[in-house]
Amino acid sequence: MRPAALDAPRIRASDRRFGLLLLAPSVLLLLLVGLFPLVYTLVVSFQQITLFEVDTSFAGLANYRMLLSDERLWESLLHTAILFSIALPLELALGLAMAQLFLERLPGRQIFIALLVLPTVIAPLVAGAVWRLLLDHRYGPVNQIVGWLWGEEAVLLWTVNPLLVYPAILMAEVWQWTPFMFLILLAALTNVDRSLTEAAEIDGAGFWLTFRKVVLPAIWPVMAVALLIRGLDLARIFDVVYALTGGGPGTMTETISIYTYVLGFRQFETSYTGAIAFLVIAILTVLVVGAVKRMGLAR
Amino acid sequence: MADLAIRALKKSYGATPAVRGVDLTIPAGEFAVLVGPSGCGKSTLLRTIAGLEEADGGSIEIGGRVATDLRPKDRDIAMVFQNYALYPYLTVFENVAFGLRARKLPDAEVRKRVGRAAEMLGLGPLLERYPRQLSGGQRQRVAIGRAIVRDARLFLFDEPLSNLDAQLRDEMRGELKRLHQELGKTFMYVTHDQTEAMTLADRIVVLKDGLIEQQGSPLDLYERPRTRFVAGFIGSPQMNFIPAEVAPGRGLRLSDGRELPLKAGRLAGIAPGAVLIGLRPTHIARAGAQPPATGVARLSVRADLIQPTGARAYVSFRLGGVETTTELEAREAPRLGEEFAVDLDLDRAVLIDPQTDRVI
Amino acid sequence: MTEAGVHARTGTEAAAVPSPAAAGIERPARRLRPRRRTVVLALRLLAAILVTVVFLFPIYWLAIMAFKTADEIFAYPPVWWPGSLNLSNFAVLFRDGDWETVRNSLVLATSSTAIAMVLGTFAAYALERFRIGGENLAVWIISQRMLPPVVIVFPIFLLYVALGWVDTFHGMIVLYVAFSLPYVIWMMRGYIHDIPIELEESAELDGCSRWQILWRVVFPMARTGLFATAVFTFVFVWNDFVFALVLTRTEVVTYTVQVTHYFGGQSNFWAKIAAMSMLGTLPVFFAVATLQRYFVRGLSMGAVKG
Repeated sequence: MRPAALDAPRIRASDRRFGLLLLAPSVLLLLLVGLFPLVYTLVVSFQQITLFEVDTSFAGLANYRMLLSDERLWESLLHTAILFSIALPLELALGLAMAQLFLERLPGRQIFIALLVLPTVIAPLVAGAVWRLLLDHRYGPVNQIVGWLWGEEAVLLWTVNPLLVYPAILMAEVWQWTPFMFLILLAALTNVDRSLTEAAEIDGAGFWLTFRKVVLPAIWPVMAVALLIRGLDLARIFDVVYALTGGGPGTMTETISIYTYVLGFRQFETSYTGAIAFLVIAILTVLVVGAVKRMGLAR
Repeated sequence: MADLAIRALKKSYGATPAVRGVDLTIPAGEFAVLVGPSGCGKSTLLRTIAGLEEADGGSIEIGGRVATDLRPKDRDIAMVFQNYALYPYLTVFENVAFGLRARKLPDAEVRKRVGRAAEMLGLGPLLERYPRQLSGGQRQRVAIGRAIVRDARLFLFDEPLSNLDAQLRDEMRGELKRLHQELGKTFMYVTHDQTEAMTLADRIVVLKDGLIEQQGSPLDLYERPRTRFVAGFIGSPQMNFIPAEVAPGRGLRLSDGRELPLKAGRLAGIAPGAVLIGLRPTHIARAGAQPPATGVARLSVRADLIQPTGARAYVSFRLGGVETTTELEAREAPRLGEEFAVDLDLDRAVLIDPQTDRVI
Repeated sequence: MTEAGVHARTGTEAAAVPSPAAAGIERPARRLRPRRRTVVLALRLLAAILVTVVFLFPIYWLAIMAFKTADEIFAYPPVWWPGSLNLSNFAVLFRDGDWETVRNSLVLATSSTAIAMVLGTFAAYALERFRIGGENLAVWIISQRMLPPVVIVFPIFLLYVALGWVDTFHGMIVLYVAFSLPYVIWMMRGYIHDIPIELEESAELDGCSRWQILWRVVFPMARTGLFATAVFTFVFVWNDFVFALVLTRTEVVTYTVQVTHYFGGQSNFWAKIAAMSMLGTLPVFFAVATLQRYFVRGLSMGAVKG
């Protein structure tokens, strides 16, 4: 990138006016759909609006105090954290292994890669629906395959059995997004300067040492962005869970996004939802800023 | 003892042959330079010696040990890459130490060796910096440092100076030569620059289309090229190739009918017919007052183009239907369009068979 | 002999210690011989096929479900290869008018993509070339994408109720444009950055107005980037579920929402789920197939350049 200081004198006043003209519609729309909701949510969260009552008087921190004692909220955060901390490493590890598998010459490599893209571009909701079909205890093929491996007929209630709902959601999630990791990591690995790995080879470094000391630092910036994108998506996971379990059985797989949806649009706890929305934004901001700093991505 | 012995080495990329059967022996301690135009297979040959490419056929011996099937790290070699291949996130010290750490040398030994290498290359003040904070020449030194701490038997260089500007290149060239003398190791160096080859090499190996065209000392190749390709490739400015006919008993006849007398016996065993006269620009002089010696032909020509280089000037004129260049003292140079007389030192010319492109 | 020379000799002995070859303890690792290499390649190919089969199987299952007859769908054990190419599941969707949700998705995705591309590219050009707002404005814009849809959609819903925009095309399009803008601006800023500025300067010297520079130089130079970004934007809008779930009722229901209408507590309309999912998925596959080398750049939000 050119240093801004060198460019600065070039930008004339008329350029600036033209630029503002170009920028104005986008910024206005983003303010409308980005900033307005935040401000509005903030205001509402200090009031007492529910399905039955519109009380717009200032209620202080009442809603925020309620957050602390809302067990269902903390459980939904825990559920989100469980999915996050299992799916993200799994997608990364599988994606990396697949990228390594397809890195070198292989007959039909391009065709394989083109096919492996497909799960990632399907609508997440449809992905959930597909796994609903696959996991059906009677008419789905998964139980049939498990039956072959097990030796006897398997009747696993994937979307109902408390022990199986998380594996079910994780299967769908990992299936859909491992190819995303794979594609990005494959591109990153392909871009590693070959002379660096060759120099390491001549210097006597084995596969692991070369990977750790040469390849990993080289692909890290790209890998960090991929982790950030996936991490954010996982933190607000909604569609797959909605399609597969709807948060059930009971509230066992209710993620923070599902809980917010239920509160806001099923129970119309308007003000309290506003408070939760702010909690979520706060958590995400802290996580993202922390991640960006830790991963050395700030540019 | 030979440090590197290559026999019938072959390497292709798919259907494209890159090295087509090379035999080469380099004695211990020699500075060998592989030179040739781009695409001649010189880099492939070097990479095959390093073990980065697998040979399709033939054998490689390094230090008397068959290395054809060994992994690069077991071949006792070190290599300097064209783009230096420095690890951007390691300091200069860690870059130089990388190979030693990979071999799990004790820390004290690593420090000692990196310190010595840094001293030899003047890297001392730079050890804590990162590659991006270095100039091109400094990066080059780090890359060399990384190779020499390894203390390998054979050092490979893949066009290491091609990314430097002209002045730095001259400087580093001198330094490499000094380094070779101090280390006393075998160097194998690839370049497309014949000046680099001439100044650095004990032995030049000219490669063309995956085969060795000729090898020998720089002077040998300069004075006694065996093919038109080598004659044209070595020496700057390039050798002139003037088409002529052998006129039996008389000498050579140019296409404009002018005749060039030769020393008696120079044409012995040469069949009548077409030849190319290979004559270096330095072997064409401006005619003086005294008559030409035997074996020197004096002709009158007209200056078409004059390129002064300072103390000297390249003067071009047409001769035998081709553009011919001579290198003169600047004060001897004619004016543009001026008719002047030149002496062709035919004793030092090579005669080439235009059919086979070989020197007769 | 110089000090360096002495070092060189002692160094040889030191180097010999870590090298097992010189010590004669064990044979140095050999490169794989051609036959072993063939075996390794065959194993890799086998692994590749296995991985691809596993990842494509769910899509295969979706496809055959869409073509199965009712008997085949409710056969036990499940049928892995349908007996005939039965189109009745799709016919039902067209007969009952359910396909209109796909048309709604198409209208919404196409128009919001077009608007977002124009506005977003303008904004990206202003950010990149005139540096308005500096890096802060750019970061604010991309951070808009970080907000969870469920959180944004809640106040938007209240706003839309007040405006009477719920379940309208224009309401959804405004939302989708705003939702797509951060991505479009971010990506197009990268593509515009790659255009040599000299081209624009020379056009200016040739007498082009600013708008002419945009239309005649910037847009044509960035056309592959524009195309790739547009396809991604289209897919994001097409695949949206949360916004449509909350903000549509009957008029502009999209295909993703329609799929969830077939979920039942006890019995699912398997045939409709599968057929509707297929209808919604095929356009995405075709769209993505056109992307080729810009795919990874678009997917990684520019972290990997093509």
